[in-house]
Parts: sequence; structure tokens; C-alpha cells
Amino acid sequence: MKYLLLICLVTSPLLSLADFNHNLRWSVDASARLNHNEAINNSSRIYALGLDSHKVFTSDSGDRGYAVAQLYYTKLSNQIPVPFLFDSKDDGDFIIREAHLNFTDTPSWLPHIRVGHFTMPFGLEESIDTNGRLLDYYHGKNLGTKLDWGLGLNKVTDRLEYNVSYTLGGKDKAKSINGSYAFTGRIGSLSHHDFIIGFSLYRAEIDGINRKRLAIDFQFYWQTWGFLAELALGEDDKQLTQWQQEKYALFELNKTALYQQLKVYSQVILTDKTYQKSIDKLINIGLSYQITAKLEFSLSARFQLNSPDNNNKQELARAQIRYRY
Amino acid sequence: MKKYYLPLLLMLFSQDIDAVAYCSLRDPVALIKQLYPDKTNQLSIVKMVDDNIRAQVQVALPRNDLHFSELGRHTLYIIMQGKHSLGYVHVRSEQSDWGLVEVAWAIAKDLTIANFAFQRCRSPNKKVAEQQQFKDIFIGKNFQELKKLLHSDGVTAKNAVLKRAQPAPELANVMLRCSLKTLLLTEILWGDELKKY
Repeated sequence: MKYLLLICLVTSPLLSLADFNHNLRWSVDASARLNHNEAINNSSRIYALGLDSHKVFTSDSGDRGYAVAQLYYTKLSNQIPVPFLFDSKDDGDFIIREAHLNFTDTPSWLPHIRVGHFTMPFGLEESIDTNGRLLDYYHGKNLGTKLDWGLGLNKVTDRLEYNVSYTLGGKDKAKSINGSYAFTGRIGSLSHHDFIIGFSLYRAEIDGINRKRLAIDFQFYWQTWGFLAELALGEDDKQLTQWQQEKYALFELNKTALYQQLKVYSQVILTDKTYQKSIDKLINIGLSYQITAKLEFSLSARFQLNSPDNNNKQELARAQIRYRY
Repeated sequence: MKKYYLPLLLMLFSQDIDAVAYCSLRDPVALIKQLYPDKTNQLSIVKMVDDNIRAQVQVALPRNDLHFSELGRHTLYIIMQGKHSLGYVHVRSEQSDWGLVEVAWAIAKDLTIANFAFQRCRSPNKKVAEQQQFKDIFIGKNFQELKKLLHSDGVTAKNAVLKRAQPAPELANVMLRCSLKTLLLTEILWGDELKKY
């Protein structure tokens, strides 16, 4: 909470330029998620109730920047494994998702400057937001965290867009923990085109684990079909404090119904690690249905094709109802 | 229970809704630069498209409706060169046989269409619609002039327009409906404030 207060203090000089309600968007966002993990024969629920807000700051000569703030009370019920933000499988807590300011009123030759808690600019997640959705591009698993506190530089130019950040590696805490840090960056073609290509890099130490990662991502859209891919090479010292190489590939085929209410997707994820006997092969299938502008229902299922070393195949089914008001 | 009070109170007084999380909002800065190469900045004005506005669109353009993604809070951009405005940009979506078509419309200060660029268009004839000959169907026209291009069915363009739009007549229908709704909403929602710019 203190970080949100800090952001409020930082923005207060800007607020004097305009009435607070001017150019403000906000919604109450509530969701209930049911998970069944067949691998450990466990069913769990996750409830979230929060406030999602967006505010554009302007002056007479134009926009100066914008702020995004998302604060959610999240309650677990029998959730195993326990996410790092919580203390027990039935814990509940206030969670800050995105909370950042992006100063856009910089000279044309200078980038915009972002400060706060934001999604790491890497791979497909950079142009496709998955916060609060069942759709996932495994940012947290691959990078060690999905969001982090820090500073970023970003810009959309005539031909390309880029976003680089230096963050503290504290994940939900706005501080460096035992020397943690993360340097993340992506440069890509314009994200409103039908063919998008991007290159990402990552170097970090988070939770005592060093990670390096290089990736290329593609998005190709044809009529109501989309084909997406993220290919990465990386290494970490998670195992035996030695560097372990990893090859990672995610492929997604999705289809959106003409009226945009129904979206279905399937993903294939291949992960090859040095010390692993077989390549992990995961399949995800999912759908989301926008029942009304306020109400969305989504389903997803994940299963593993290979037998992992510990013989615990991933088999996870999830359902979510989400209401925004 | 105290921790639930604030969201519940906010829920009671909230009227608007946007289906997407706000962290995914992106200003169409590349398209704005394409439409107004001399711009130095843009000035956003966010307004609410609600059921009342939707009903006004249905009255002014019978047999037309707004897609659910068109409801909620939307931004009109006043394009600035220093402290002077060059015109406006308003992004609107329209349904088509290839999914939603999202168009960034450049609007002149007299509320006529000045130009347009696609934020998203997956029609096989997209390149045809980007040619000047196609664009000239819309450029320089205000709401009333564009409405005269509409067939009596209220949703398709007149034959003369479709002939001129060859080989992309379906896209001409989509763009005509989209341009009409864009100019109508611009005037209803932002008209008073735009007089200052």
C-alpha cells in the first residue's frame, strides 16, 4: 500500500493541472477462478476483487503522461502450490498488479520514461496483456517474475517500438533483495500490424537465481486467425549453482469469432533443459466468452505429453468468471 | 469486512464499463504521426459512450448499432503543433466479414473527414482501401454528406459508391458506417469542447 501512496505523492503536482476526474477511467474488477490440478489431485479457488484505473495527465499543449493503478484483494482457497505473494494455501492479501507512471511529454528524440510496478517488457506479453486472464505466456515462470518495480524507457516511432527497463528484482517489493536486479528489453515492429516481429533480452538475478535469456517473437494475423510464437535461448543457475542451458518455444494458434465475443486458442510449449532427460511438451487449450461488456467466462486446460523426471505430469483444468463494473 | 467497503461503494456509484484491463490501453501514436506528420503532441479527452449515446446513434442512423467494445470510455485526440491544434483523431471499430476493422480517422476542425489509417484491418482488400482513390470517397465530407452516400437500407453504400470502391465494395460499406458513427459521436460527445481547439 505504501507504494501506491508514494505514487499518489509523485502525481500530486500533476493533479493540480486538471481536475482529478478529467480523463480518468476506473472499473471495479471481480473474478472467481476454479482450478483442478489432477497431478496432485487438488481443487482450489482464487477470488479477486479490485480497482483498475487509468488516468491521462494533460496540459494546454498536450498529454504529459498517464498512470495505471490496479489494486486487488485476492483470496486463496486451498491453493497448492502457494503463490509467492501469500503465506498459506488459504491466505488473502491486497496485491498491487500494475502501478506505474509513464511520462510521455518528452522531446521527439527522447524516449518516454516509466516508473513504478509494471510488466517486464519481454516477448509476446509486451503486446498482449494477460493480467487477470487464464491466457498465459509464462512470463513469471520464465523470467522469475511477471511484474517488478523499477524504471523503464519506451517509445513508439514511425517504424518500430521499444521498451527497456531496469528493475530491482524485488517482485512485489520496491527494493533490491540481496543484490537482485533485472534488465529487460524488447524491440519490435509496430504492434498494430498484421505481422509483428520482436527481439527481447533479459539478464537478472531474482530470488538468488541468475537468468539470461534471448528471444524472438512473432505474431501473424489472417482474418480472424492468429499465429503466435516465442522462441528463446537461455540459461540459469537454478540447478546445483551451475549454469543450465534452456531452449524454449511457444506456439499459439487462435481464432476469434466475427463478433469478437468468443476467442479460442491452443498452445504448444516445448522446453529443453540441459539436466532434463526429456523435452517438456505442454499443451494448453482455452477459450474466453464475453457474455456482455461486463461479464466474461473463460476455460482452460493444460496437459503434459512427456513423462517428466519426477513422473508428475501437469494436468490442470481452470474456469474463471470475471465481472468488470 | 471493512476491506470490502471501498470496492462495494465504488460499484454502487460506477456507471461506465470497459471490457479490457486498462494496462492494455495503447495510444495510436504511430498512426497519429502518420496522419499528422507535423504534430508535436496530442491532447487526450476521454468521454463516456453509454447506453444513452448508443440510443442516439440508433436514432440518427437507423439499423445501426455500436459493438460492445465501442461502449465505455473512449479517447478523442486533439493533434497539437506547439500550442495550436491541427485537427483531431478518433479511433472507431466496425464489424466486418474479417472481424473488427479499427480505423484511426483524422478529422478536420470543421468536422469533415481529413484522412484515415487502419489500426487493424484483415480484409484481403486492405491495400485497395489505402489508395487515394478509395480514400477520396470519404475525405472532405461531413456527417450529412456521408449520410447521403448511404443506401435506403441504412447499412450499405449506394451503388455509385460501391462502383467507385471496386474491387473493395464490402470495405466501402464498412468504412461508410464507421465514418458516420465516428463523426456523429465526435459531435455528440466532444463537440462542445472541440470549439476551444
